[in-house]
Amino acid sequence: MINELENILPSVKNDHQKASLQNAIAIGVPSMKHEEWKYTYYNKILQQGFTPAFVDDQQPSVEKEFIDEYAVSENRIVFVNGVFHNELSQFNSHPKINFWNSNNISESSTKDFLLELNNALATDGVFLEIGDHVVSEELIEIFYIHTNSSAIVNLRNKIKVGKNAQVKLAEYYINYDANPAYSNIVTEIEIAQDAIVELDKIQDAGNLFNITDNTFVKQDRNSVVTVNTFSLTGGITRNVLQFDVNGEHATANMNGLYLLENEEHVDNRTLVNHNVANCESHELYKGILGGKSTGVFNGKIIVKQPAQKTNAFQSNRNLLLSNDANIYTKPQLEIFADDVKCSHGATSSQIEDSELFYLQARGIGKEVARGLLVYAFAAEMVERVKNEKLRNKLQSRIAELLKIEL
Amino acid sequence: MTMLKINNLHASIDGKEILKGFTLTVNAGEVHAIMGPNGTGKSTLAAVLTGKDGYEVTQGTVEFDGKNLLELEPDERAQQGVFLAFQYPVEIPGVSNANFLKAAVNEIRKSKGQDNIAPNEFLKLMREKMELVEMSKDFISRSVNQGFSGGEKKRNEIFQMAMLDPKLAILDETDSGLDIDALRIVANGVNKLRTKDNAFVVITHYQRLLDYIVPDFVHVMYNGQIVKSGDKSLALELEEKGYDWVKELEIV
Repeated sequence: MINELENILPSVKNDHQKASLQNAIAIGVPSMKHEEWKYTYYNKILQQGFTPAFVDDQQPSVEKEFIDEYAVSENRIVFVNGVFHNELSQFNSHPKINFWNSNNISESSTKDFLLELNNALATDGVFLEIGDHVVSEELIEIFYIHTNSSAIVNLRNKIKVGKNAQVKLAEYYINYDANPAYSNIVTEIEIAQDAIVELDKIQDAGNLFNITDNTFVKQDRNSVVTVNTFSLTGGITRNVLQFDVNGEHATANMNGLYLLENEEHVDNRTLVNHNVANCESHELYKGILGGKSTGVFNGKIIVKQPAQKTNAFQSNRNLLLSNDANIYTKPQLEIFADDVKCSHGATSSQIEDSELFYLQARGIGKEVARGLLVYAFAAEMVERVKNEKLRNKLQSRIAELLKIEL
Repeated sequence: MTMLKINNLHASIDGKEILKGFTLTVNAGEVHAIMGPNGTGKSTLAAVLTGKDGYEVTQGTVEFDGKNLLELEPDERAQQGVFLAFQYPVEIPGVSNANFLKAAVNEIRKSKGQDNIAPNEFLKLMREKMELVEMSKDFISRSVNQGFSGGEKKRNEIFQMAMLDPKLAILDETDSGLDIDALRIVANGVNKLRTKDNAFVVITHYQRLLDYIVPDFVHVMYNGQIVKSGDKSLALELEEKGYDWVKELEIV
């Protein structure tokens, strides 16, 4: 990997990209020796034959009807193999919503390999600007489609939401032809005061699709931001979600559901920086782990000294369906203010025999009964999606994965 | 017609014998009350008949409609028409009453080779049976038993019974924790469901429920078996004399 990065270094023209590539080379590929990567073997993604490369601009053919299957709205921003696809995209123009595609790169000097890699190689991305006071009723959907490419897809998105605006966004990963896929995506979101924003991340592209996602949210006062992450099917998935709560009376909501089978692996990392007083954060991640799957949850809340009167709650709950499934969970709180309400906790449990018997005693077969109970565990998370069409879609998809009829 | 035939049933849990030669025959159209002091094996009987895990039958037979009930899974027993109204109904957050019962109705239909119930038919059936136990409308979408009061949970058991229309219903201390108004609602529900083709086994500690659900037979259970049987007057006698009288019966 590092050799390949060195090889492409001479072809990089942009100074920021060149610097990032050099940073990435200096940092090196993440290994399990790093605390941050203790339970996720990053090389397992690379071993599937992915290489760092600039993807070419040639657009592979994907039918419009294909997107129709997934989309629930008329606002669609579609990327195929990391390149914006004009024909597949459609956007109901709104005078105060600006959208264009750009690689959104800037000067970067982090200590994170994936962020530097992304900055160095990002080919494209969404730049979305929602004007002040705009209320967008319709969901804005972003699609990351992968088709037959061994290049690591790097996309870099930037989303700015104006004062008092309201918007709901959803992103989907799709594997068009069931070849191995790997996307490394970075999204930066800036939320102005009084705005209300929901972002739903739908990760359901099958076992050959690997994802590393970094999402950074900065929110100003009185804003309410919700990020719901649904990891339903995938290969190796790593989601890093960071909130910087920078204005008073802001609320940050982080919800996650991971539904794992076989050898699936999901690593969720969240960090909330409570930088100012009188804010709230609510975090609930729920996992359902079957087969030989592995779940990792690492949630950190930092309440800085000025952040008095913070209410920060974090919980990670897991349902283990098999003896071979593993969950590594680590909730962390660092509190430097003295007048705060914070709680965190993690649980792992199995299906209750008493509940199973109750369902069976009503004539429901053991398998269906199990499915219903697991569905019940997941249902709470789906309820948090505000868009009704998307919510219904998720409900039926989860029921399908659990082999139950609703 | 004989529906349930329990003969010399012995059952234990964690190696401790609880049922010690329990024998009872129930015919279609009959209501049997089983009374007795705490810890005498009444709830164990209900658990063994419905197939709860953890109980070991060491001796005896149970036939239901001529079939060996003991070799069936709990869901198969329910599909055959055995119903248990739980003493402690389980809360299932996230599963609505409607989805729960639709799954139950459809699984039972499937076992009989029938198609799924049509949604409008199901809704009609639910509305009709909800009236029977005076359930409020929002009940359909609420999670099974979650946040229900004790009385609501017991009414829900009778409602489920009405929906599934079993041949044999076992009511395990359905009266415990019920005030007199709730008791009346529950008993009315049961009485409306009585036919010549179904049967009820009513397990209770107190006589009061039997003022409302009038049994054809009353059995007194003590130390894992029936020590005395009679008609409804036996229940009154028990109430008057208390259970110490029963303990002496066994020694005789």
